[in-house]
Amino acid sequence: MKYFTKSCLLLAMLFISAAAMAQYTVSGVVQNENGEPLIGVSIIVKGTTTGTVTDFNGNFNINVSSGPATLLFSYTGFKPEEAEVSSSKTDISVTLEEDIANLEEIVVTGLATGIKRSNLANAVATVSGKELTEVTTQQTVDGALYGKLPGVNIVQSNGAPGGGIAMRLRGVSSLNGNNQPLFIIDGVYITNAEIPSGQRFASGANSGTEEGASNRLADLNPEDIESIEVLKGASAAAIYGTRANAGVVIITTKQGSAGRTKVSFEQDLGLNTIQNYVGRRQYTAAEVEEAFGADERAKFEAAQAAGKIFNYEEEIYGNTGFISDSRLSISGGNDKTTFYFNTSYRDEEGIIENTGFDRFSIRLNVDHKVSDKIKVGVNTNYINSFAARSFTGNENEGGLSYGYTLAFTRDWVDLFPNEQGVYPFNPNYAGNPIFVRDQARNDERNNRLISGTNIEYNVFQSDNVVFKLVGNAGLDFLLNETSVYVPETHQSQVGTNNGFIGEGRNKLLNYNYQAFGILDYFSAGNLNLNTQVGVTYLNFDRNFILNRATQLVPGQINLSQGGAQNIDQAIETEEEFGMVVQEQANWDDKVIATVGVRFDKSSLNGDPNKFFAFPRASLALNVANFDFWNSTAVNQFKLRVAYGQTGSSATFGSLFSSLASTNINGQIGVSAGGNLGRTDLEPETSEEIEFGTDLGFLGNKLNLGLTYYIRNVQNLLFLFDIPSSTGFNNEIRNDFDLQNRGLEVSLNINPVSTQNFNWNSMVNFWFNRSEVTRLGVPPFVPSGVAFGLGLGTFYVEEGEPITQLKGSDDEGPETIGDVEPDFQLGWYNEIKIGKNIDFNFLAHWKQGGDVLNLSRLLTDIGGNTPREYENLEGFVEDASYFRLREVGLYYTLPKFSNTLQRLRLGVSGRNLLTLTDYSSYDPETSTKGGTGLSTGIEVTPFPSSRQVYFHIGMQF
Amino acid sequence: MKNITLFILLGLMTAVSSCTIEDQVDPNGPSITSVTNDATTGELDLLVYGAESRLRNNRDSYITSTGTIARELYLFDADPRNTEDLLGKDGAQLDNNTFYLTASYGNAFIVVRNCELLLQGVANTTAVTTAQRNGYEGFAKTIKALMLMNELMRLNDNGIRVDVADPDNLGPFVSKEAAFDAIFGMLDEAYTQLQSAEFTFQLSSGFAGYDDPAGFARFNRAVAARAAIWSERYGQAQGYLDNSFYDLNGDLQEGPEMIFSTASGDILNPVFRPLNQSGDQIIVHNFIINNLKAGDTRISKFNERPNPTSQDGLNGTHESAVYPSATAPISIIRNEELILIAAEANMQTGKLDDAVTALNVIRNAYGLGDYTGAVTEEALTEELLYHRAYSLFAEGHRMFDLRRYGLLNADYLPIDRPGDQVFTQFPIPLNENQ
Repeated sequence: MKYFTKSCLLLAMLFISAAAMAQYTVSGVVQNENGEPLIGVSIIVKGTTTGTVTDFNGNFNINVSSGPATLLFSYTGFKPEEAEVSSSKTDISVTLEEDIANLEEIVVTGLATGIKRSNLANAVATVSGKELTEVTTQQTVDGALYGKLPGVNIVQSNGAPGGGIAMRLRGVSSLNGNNQPLFIIDGVYITNAEIPSGQRFASGANSGTEEGASNRLADLNPEDIESIEVLKGASAAAIYGTRANAGVVIITTKQGSAGRTKVSFEQDLGLNTIQNYVGRRQYTAAEVEEAFGADERAKFEAAQAAGKIFNYEEEIYGNTGFISDSRLSISGGNDKTTFYFNTSYRDEEGIIENTGFDRFSIRLNVDHKVSDKIKVGVNTNYINSFAARSFTGNENEGGLSYGYTLAFTRDWVDLFPNEQGVYPFNPNYAGNPIFVRDQARNDERNNRLISGTNIEYNVFQSDNVVFKLVGNAGLDFLLNETSVYVPETHQSQVGTNNGFIGEGRNKLLNYNYQAFGILDYFSAGNLNLNTQVGVTYLNFDRNFILNRATQLVPGQINLSQGGAQNIDQAIETEEEFGMVVQEQANWDDKVIATVGVRFDKSSLNGDPNKFFAFPRASLALNVANFDFWNSTAVNQFKLRVAYGQTGSSATFGSLFSSLASTNINGQIGVSAGGNLGRTDLEPETSEEIEFGTDLGFLGNKLNLGLTYYIRNVQNLLFLFDIPSSTGFNNEIRNDFDLQNRGLEVSLNINPVSTQNFNWNSMVNFWFNRSEVTRLGVPPFVPSGVAFGLGLGTFYVEEGEPITQLKGSDDEGPETIGDVEPDFQLGWYNEIKIGKNIDFNFLAHWKQGGDVLNLSRLLTDIGGNTPREYENLEGFVEDASYFRLREVGLYYTLPKFSNTLQRLRLGVSGRNLLTLTDYSSYDPETSTKGGTGLSTGIEVTPFPSSRQVYFHIGMQF
Repeated sequence: MKNITLFILLGLMTAVSSCTIEDQVDPNGPSITSVTNDATTGELDLLVYGAESRLRNNRDSYITSTGTIARELYLFDADPRNTEDLLGKDGAQLDNNTFYLTASYGNAFIVVRNCELLLQGVANTTAVTTAQRNGYEGFAKTIKALMLMNELMRLNDNGIRVDVADPDNLGPFVSKEAAFDAIFGMLDEAYTQLQSAEFTFQLSSGFAGYDDPAGFARFNRAVAARAAIWSERYGQAQGYLDNSFYDLNGDLQEGPEMIFSTASGDILNPVFRPLNQSGDQIIVHNFIINNLKAGDTRISKFNERPNPTSQDGLNGTHESAVYPSATAPISIIRNEELILIAAEANMQTGKLDDAVTALNVIRNAYGLGDYTGAVTEEALTEELLYHRAYSLFAEGHRMFDLRRYGLLNADYLPIDRPGDQVFTQFPIPLNENQ
């Protein structure tokens, strides 16, 4: 099955010019290599704008004005075809060949337009819905992209069900601002916030980023996705202006296609288990005495005699979670209206008891042609998701985080409840992990509506000019409710706070609209000029409220049953307006040049009404399309270069120097101590040049893409520690430049292609190197990225990578590591055996890149590091790994019924095999969440899991 | 065709010009300029309450950092630096960018900044009378002096900045002597202003009796008396004591306090730890336990744990029980300390009998009977330090007391683990760029 990708250019061809002076009519049929009719194939009379599409049976009629003409046939996923017609040859049959290299795929690069992949001047990575979800079931959209895109680094900061993933495109682009790309779904700017639950007020974690919150991309059902395009750097993303410094991820959801109504139902059943245990140190009595004293030896021996030596790591992380994922989709329509409907429910239990994630999603996408000239589409998605994430990560004396507690808990203490159900206190640390697992809660629920509307109006069409207006508007409304409950009987609560309830009510509303005018001009000599002019507007409105109660009435979980209550609120509003002009010239698919500029203003800038310009320019040269090129071995040879600028405004609040509120015995006061804002802030900007080549060999049996980029981020906004004796923490500065350079290679091979065996293989290889090229202040430790030089931290220093780690030494800070991988390699394979068997797998190799393993620091102190790791020097470890990320084997039953069109059975797995020397749970980790420099620091994370699935899919 | 393009472009231009983004105001808190320009007394009062409130923050860090160095106590929690850096384990040095230094230091200067904002606000408003102005300034200068003095004692010979009025143009680090000159200057100015002042603000119940200008002036003099001891300007102490709430026959516990509550936004006593807990405890150093004299009722400040505790090669049998609950107040300065100041000042100025008189007040209060030892400076120094150790246990004095008498060293203090060191002062924080 091939999907019909929405494309403005193609759609333009749907509008048939009725004004032609009909001389003769050509009719015919279009089919694929198997003789099946193709519906919706675009047909155009070459050199004109006259066009049509095929109907349900693959038939078409087209009027040709006069004389012999050439018809161009194009269809997403197939190679284009040409056919000569004349008044004497008016009945033709055309067969389209599948386009293995996806060169004809339309890539949405502009805000309102797209371009054929073969004409693209940037390395835009695309993942199809098939690659995304056909190997195995995906938990989250961002997790599904792991290893599938060159230049995209993904780090799972938290292994809990429901996500917690940081995505970095071509390295770090900001120190304190956003390093997560902009996510746009069907034209809607969606939020991917990590919303802390406030558990830090019970656990003692230093900040909300240490709470291991999930990111809200987890709400999307991966099954709804038709394709994901990733604009990695400024050269591709410039047209998105001031939000695009960290790149743009454009997600297009599935649309219905005209024809028979398709109903499909899929069910996955799976199991979640821990990927690997770190292990516990095994003590002898003598070793216990040496480490903890004679009294402890007596306890150890008593426990040993009673058979009560436990393995608390397995006790906590040893749950086998059951996973169920059900999806029902219905799609279809007629020539005027098409629809796609999907509803799904995923229920996933975690590897820690009482943790899990469930998501209910319902989507309806409808496209309707109001008339020959007007087309509207509405895409609406409602999601209700729930996650029980429990307590992991960093803390301070809260006794809640499992890993932290386990680091100190000795396996010979008995922490299980007695017959009365009373959990003993943990003599080794501030909390009993069995009690926390059974009695404490850290949950969140999300109610979310994402809806986008688009309209396209074909204003004017002549033989050589098409003018249309396209507009879209979208909203993303999220109500996030967090709920943390720590009973008053929890060890660290007794005698102080006596229980904790944290109830967050967080409202996030994004809305945006854009309107564009697009003019296409086709001149003689096959020159196509495309002009687009437009405006965009977006508005983000966020209101975070956290209600806290302590001093609880025993057993009560209601906020009002607390003797002490607290309210925290943060209001954030952002408003942006942009204007875009872009001109693209395409000479016969030989030379494609684009220039454009975007002007943006933002409420986050010092002067909210000052426009900042973000230009772009690119050139693609399809050498193989020139007449002089006559190599048959090399059928595609493209040279390309692209340049662009993007920006990123300071985070909300950076403009203000405000006072904090204080309270003493009910009397409110105000106090200094915050950050000194600046009222003259301008966005940090990123300037990128990328160049490369795309080569196709042997009829695209082998495709090679090479891209090299240099990205300079200028005037990075950063918080700089000012002397404490000012009474303020930080000021905002911008005397900081950063460079990222890197290479991306993608190789597609179709080594075997026979009737009974077809193997497609895709290899992506990439690396990135960064360097701080200008720093107007002495080297410094950015605030909030780690835990100080004493334990090791990121350290910003001119001439060094932004990802370096330094630690204290007698002579001052000393380099101890670098979290940037040497390179990464993803290898994706699709193997089709016979007509019925599909075998797909994805392997991912990350070479180099260090992780600061502070979990081991804690187990060292607590005496629980397994002996095998005792000899590791320092806490920086090489986090290289090779992982079999996804593997799936499916069998499609031969068709046995007309009602049941397809029945497919399969088994699959995620993370089935990992080869690494890293001593802790997972070399992919981040204790500080997904923002900033965060990745590569481990403090007792939620261990990542391995999943196996059984699948059944039916299509009616 | 061109006309259409032109038409659309014009339309877009109209849309652009009509879209104006408003200037931004922080929706989450008052701006600094709201209190420094044309402030009302209501707004200035909020700065006073903010300063009183912030006085209390990070008090735990101040007490455990200095107390660990003085071998008064240990903080056993999950952070290894409390038992490594502070005790100089295996050659470890005090870090200039770690919480045990920066938390309390940073907080002290936040309070100082509040006082500076108050001074600035008072100077830039017409809403206050002269008496009110004297009230605000008397409060601000006293509190500022108290906070500067606290951190000066930790940094000691490294000195401190005393001129921090302009955050963009901070004054230099000055020597300990010069800093004390400035601190006495602030205290004296404040004292003078408090003589003809009016308080528009109502301090918390922790300042009951010290919440009017006359009462606050007595508190000011008590702080000056402490400064006289800490700066070793012993001759000045008695004069300050005379105008403070010093009372040889009075309640030892009399004096202003930091209070804590469970009110929304308020904090709990940060030095309090529930008894017999594990994981986060203030453990009393065995040196303190072992040296306590028989019959000294101050033993009630220590709780013997059911199980002795150990961490990082350190162990202890008792934990701090100075505060009975999470809302128990912490004394800022009290009559007990003033009597000890009187004893020390007298001893240092040769009035040994007066010193004995003062020490006997303390001895009798804790069931030890009158002093019978030798009345020599040496013997009395030992006696004084004994009482300061137990009367002011875990209140942030021990490190400075020992240093003042040349005892903050490995000859006097026990070394728990081979390789441990005794530090005498904290480094200047990294971000001060010194």
